[in-house]
Amino acid sequence: MTTQISAYTVDGKTPHTVLRPSTTEDLRSMMAAASADKLAVVPWGGGTKMALGNPPERYDAALDLQGLGRIVSHNPADLTATVEAGITIAALQDALTKRGQFVALGAPLADRATVGGTLAVGTAGPLKWQYGSPRDVVIGMTVVQADGKATKSGGQVVKNVSGYDMARLHVGGLGTLGVIAQVSFKLTPLPAREATLLSGFASMPQAMAAALAVFHGGAVPLALTTFDDDAARRMAMPGSDAWRVAVEMGGRPLSLERQVKECEAALRAHGAARVDRLDAPDPKMSGLWRKLTDFGWDQPTRPTVSARVSLVPSKSSEFLEALEHVPGERAVVSHPAHGTVLVHWYGTADDAAAKALSTTREVAVRLGGSAVFERCPVALKASLDVWGDARDSLAVMRRMKEQYDPGRLLNPGRFVGGI
Amino acid sequence: MAHEGLFQELKVVVGEEYVVHAPEDLVVFEYDGSVDKALPLAVVLPATTEQVSGVVKIARSHGVPIVPRGAGTGLSGGAIAAKGGIVVALTRMTRILEIDPVNRLAVVEPGVVNLELSMATAKYGLFFAPDPSSQKACTIGGNVAENSGGPHCLAYGVTTNHVLGMEVVLADGSVAWVGGRTRETPGYDLRGILIGSEGTLAITTKAVVRLVKLPEAVKTLLAIYPRLNDASAAVSDIIASGIVPAAIEMMDDLAIQAAEAAVHAGYPADAGAVLLVEVDGLKESVEVESALVEEVCRRHNPMEIRTAEDAAQRERLWAGRKGALGALGRLAPNYYLIDGTIPRTKLVEVMARIKEISAEAGLPIANVLHAGDGNLHPCILFDERKPGDTERTLEIGGRILKLCVDVGGVLTGEHGIGVEKQEYMPFMFTEDDMASMARLKLAFATDDAFNPGKVFPKGASCVDISQMKAVARAGAGAFV
Repeated sequence: MTTQISAYTVDGKTPHTVLRPSTTEDLRSMMAAASADKLAVVPWGGGTKMALGNPPERYDAALDLQGLGRIVSHNPADLTATVEAGITIAALQDALTKRGQFVALGAPLADRATVGGTLAVGTAGPLKWQYGSPRDVVIGMTVVQADGKATKSGGQVVKNVSGYDMARLHVGGLGTLGVIAQVSFKLTPLPAREATLLSGFASMPQAMAAALAVFHGGAVPLALTTFDDDAARRMAMPGSDAWRVAVEMGGRPLSLERQVKECEAALRAHGAARVDRLDAPDPKMSGLWRKLTDFGWDQPTRPTVSARVSLVPSKSSEFLEALEHVPGERAVVSHPAHGTVLVHWYGTADDAAAKALSTTREVAVRLGGSAVFERCPVALKASLDVWGDARDSLAVMRRMKEQYDPGRLLNPGRFVGGI
Repeated sequence: MAHEGLFQELKVVVGEEYVVHAPEDLVVFEYDGSVDKALPLAVVLPATTEQVSGVVKIARSHGVPIVPRGAGTGLSGGAIAAKGGIVVALTRMTRILEIDPVNRLAVVEPGVVNLELSMATAKYGLFFAPDPSSQKACTIGGNVAENSGGPHCLAYGVTTNHVLGMEVVLADGSVAWVGGRTRETPGYDLRGILIGSEGTLAITTKAVVRLVKLPEAVKTLLAIYPRLNDASAAVSDIIASGIVPAAIEMMDDLAIQAAEAAVHAGYPADAGAVLLVEVDGLKESVEVESALVEEVCRRHNPMEIRTAEDAAQRERLWAGRKGALGALGRLAPNYYLIDGTIPRTKLVEVMARIKEISAEAGLPIANVLHAGDGNLHPCILFDERKPGDTERTLEIGGRILKLCVDVGGVLTGEHGIGVEKQEYMPFMFTEDDMASMARLKLAFATDDAFNPGKVFPKGASCVDISQMKAVARAGAGAFV
């Protein structure tokens, strides 16, 4: 049992017990009991992103939700589905794919990452971002509160303004205001065909300018990702281009061909040294996107520290230029249309890592953005807030916590400002 | 006057001419596009965030409620002073502060009219996607408060999908930003919580909105059916076929007759339903998808199919749909507009039930629907002068919403709960659900100062008589 429990360690803290509900009703009664005993609870999905967050103040029980893994309903003709929080992203997408649909929700390590965990983290992956962020695809949610009560909001329809949109609190809330138990999603039909263009560039500014040209051009990319050669090498990709741009497009045959053509022209006009095309269902194409999604989270690419930077799209180039002067071995993956830059630092000592992170945040904030440190050694976490500064809305956020979890039972201390 | 001191303080902040409190001037702020009305103590028209903040502080110090208001086109009573107090009308804050075509966003004040924003961004090939039918009048601030939709939200999403951040004034008068210019910001998604909170938690003083590319091609198709069921089945088939059109709108026979009489759209007199489907995007895909839509529509035995390739033709096809609601006055002195959403697969079943309810009650119901996303707008036709008509109308309204919830749908798709549907909240939500929602007011420390008496049930189970009276007046300026 000890070895099993140690698998639930978060930032060096190991719980006394693991709770494993297999139904929402189980979850409710376990949470009520934990609440009565004032246990500090860490909700646990696939455990893929437990590195994220400030260190827990207290940690008595891991709440493993993988037993809540059912698809409650999938209504293909209505493009909606309701699932339990513990189902993995891969299992859900596989089931939807069989009916020619998908939910615009992706995560690193999708065969382990759960729907609940992915929503609690709330960040968008590179895939299908055209269809929205995680918060945009949720149409209803059942949450088990810190006091063990189950509450629901939203519904199973795509257009609804009945009551407050409570799910918003929990998407990106890191399980600090309630435990996501069940979620209803809006689904999208899969494109008839998909293709990816992978292109190589001699410099970062060229690659970023090319990516922005694609973003503003006639094509409607489903995914648009740029990455440096260090990232490419860590993913064991052949070639030696300084920067690469990957663009995924989809549609019916004629519109796809036109998009590919226009996209290729834009990439070449911005100096692409080469442009390779991959077509679904070529496993090389799905493999490329899996590697890009998993980057920084799978074993071979795992960094010492990493920052998720959010900027307006036009600032990515300037941000990366400013980062040139920071010493240390790093790899960069960026989703320019979404304004996300993921910076990973490797093998650096704690002092250098701390400096790299603080500079990253400084530059991001100066350019009007923010930086969340997604991976950070526990020793460093003591001296910084991995989330950054929520500024003038922090007071309201603190009161949210007081209202929904007055006993500070759910992930205490792990969220922004020590919430 | 009892409130002279309050008025004086407000005048110092916003200027003499922007505090309205003479009874004859207040009357225009007594109602919005909905059924209810209530007279505020005063209406204040601030010009800046600082003035909004100042007004909030003064109102709070006097212990009077604050009701934010945009253009007053809302359809659930969101902008009326249900408990009196001060209406803060944001219609002087009308500047588009910035259009950033590279990052596809705009920064606007809350009083900017929805359509004017899209007109201003058109030269960059961009537009603001939420398009409520009142878009020529309604404001972005109002859209944020109500999480407005519109015919084209089927493909594009509703307001919450298109707002990146807001500057808001909180109940203590302090100013805070929620969200921002970037897609992700640290902390809880307060932006998402405030959008659709119906003015009960904060006042928006600036909004950063996403802009999307104008579609390269648009094709509109109008299919006329002898029976409503055929049109409903066609809608379900289109959704199930893997196409997501930009809009799928529907009207039933009564709505058609009214529209025909008013705008002469050229619909056959014996038409049972009209379906309007718009496909947009890249021209290659529009070509293929509109052909597929037409094929699906033909499978359900239409009387006729018309298509539009250009803006003028498109305008003609939409004329009947857009004019339908205003034309209902030709069929009855009054109508009551309902706004439920159902799963799209239940369309045939629910439309049949609504016909039955109408027959049982002896009151005609005309139906206008955003059929593509299952958003129904049954309009109950009645005559307030006939004894019992109003009561029966409200009773039927409740039954229809109950029906929507019972088939897996919801109380309101786009109009909001407001005061109109607050007593129906228990159809959808348990005490615990509503208690959890109500905690947001505590988290925002509003002390119930912002828009009190809305969204949550009052505790009484029956709708009060003042609301019944007000129904009689509904509709003249309503958009849907």
